[in-house]
Amino acid sequence: MENMQLIGLSRQMTLERQIDVVANNVANANTSGFKADRSLFEEFLSPGARDDNFGYRDRRVSYVQDRATFKDLSQGPSEQTKNPLDIVVDGKAFLAVQTPGGERYTRDGGLQINAQGQLVTVTGNPVLGTGGPIVFQPGDRDINIAADGGITVREGVSRTDSVRGKLRLVEFAQPQKLLKDGNNLFAVGDAGAALPSTTSNVKQGFIEKSNVNAVTEMSRMIEVTRAYTQISAMLQTQGDQRRSALEKLAEVPA
Amino acid sequence: MRALYTAATGMAAQELNVQVISNNIANLRTTGYKKQRAAFQDLIYDHVRRVGAQASDQGTVLPVGIDIGGGVKTVGTPRLMSQGTLSQTGNDLDVAIRGEGFFKIQMPDGTFGYTRDGTFQRDAQGRIVTTQGNPVQPTITIPQNASGLAINAQGQVSVTVPGSTTPTVLGQITLTRFINKAGLQPIGDNLFTDTPASGTPQDGIPNTDGAGDLQQSSLEQANVEVVTEISDLIAAQRAYEMNAKVISAADQMLQSTSNMFR
Repeated sequence: MENMQLIGLSRQMTLERQIDVVANNVANANTSGFKADRSLFEEFLSPGARDDNFGYRDRRVSYVQDRATFKDLSQGPSEQTKNPLDIVVDGKAFLAVQTPGGERYTRDGGLQINAQGQLVTVTGNPVLGTGGPIVFQPGDRDINIAADGGITVREGVSRTDSVRGKLRLVEFAQPQKLLKDGNNLFAVGDAGAALPSTTSNVKQGFIEKSNVNAVTEMSRMIEVTRAYTQISAMLQTQGDQRRSALEKLAEVPA
Repeated sequence: MRALYTAATGMAAQELNVQVISNNIANLRTTGYKKQRAAFQDLIYDHVRRVGAQASDQGTVLPVGIDIGGGVKTVGTPRLMSQGTLSQTGNDLDVAIRGEGFFKIQMPDGTFGYTRDGTFQRDAQGRIVTTQGNPVQPTITIPQNASGLAINAQGQVSVTVPGSTTPTVLGQITLTRFINKAGLQPIGDNLFTDTPASGTPQDGIPNTDGAGDLQQSSLEQANVEVVTEISDLIAAQRAYEMNAKVISAADQMLQSTSNMFR
């Protein structure tokens, strides 16, 4: 009797969660290095009545429950900024970042230099090179970041390059298991060890935009709203049916 | 419904983005202006079902979890300190910097300001000052009867005085460098002040030790590129609209819920 309402409710709850995911994607449509989330749902079969004394077998009822959100780790579009400290990681790799809470990984290549000359993210966490944080000297100019992540500068009036380090690009065997940590960072979670990347390279003077696809998000949003409204209408009809049943059945002839 | 608040953070962020872009466009013709850009980051996530959690006694783990994000925040408006193009003015007190460094300006309160705007003037005492009348450091006074002012690439200021055929050197303009020039704080009037983030100011001679050289009778234009700004403006506006759409979608869902009960 209540099944219809409960099934409808289970679907509406998952739809609410799905619109939350869409809202977060749209809110981050301009966040550099952001990776969109997608929702997955699965059927939850309620156990039927145990008793075999019924004439017919009890029909099993299936609810909806959300199983997962998974990350769309595809490459976002690159925007040219001509800023020497903007980089795009071309490929599956992440930049390693040192935070107070341990090592984190990011795709946001809008980098800065702090007062100590260290290469940092926009929130001030040092970006790690193969030999620890990368430090620039006061006289450095013309910073060049090569495709393999090697960072060279011209120091003072020197006409030759001085090496300042090499960006540590890491890959994961199971990148889906990375945990989104906020601040454009990923925590390692159960993604396995951070392995040095061999296939990815770096482009200087570009920044990776968010990989949120506006058209997909908008059509998903419409789909969610429509499905939600339909279920509301269905539940309403059922409520009406029940009310009229109660009214008719409880009618006592005078 | 969380979507309402998530989309609201998105609208707030895009509003700030438009503000930053409009300030860049407004300063398109400001000498020595350096463009800004709004940097965003995602907010914390609610790990509803943690990825990698145990799914059974047999040691199977969830390959993907449920992470619901809470929206976006603005983390900074970093400045792009790239070189602007130089334009010839023909005025002998206009100086542009080619490369690294800032002019050091003595402020009325005794502190120093730093600028890339080399539109200098002469005040009543003959000192080289900015358009606000604040003297350029170190103070250089041009004698009243002098002619033929020359500022060379190394910042040496020289004039010809009557009765002499060789130019007289009046002084040396210095350039100040910072390890993190993006960490300087803008105070308006094309000036910056040093902050703990910029590092300590390091004075030096132009064209030595990595400092830029000076170009007399030129000015540095703003490093704003109109095409980039306009396309960023379009992207920001569309993102704002999309967030507004999400709010109305969430509103519609809530409305259909409240309409269920009559």
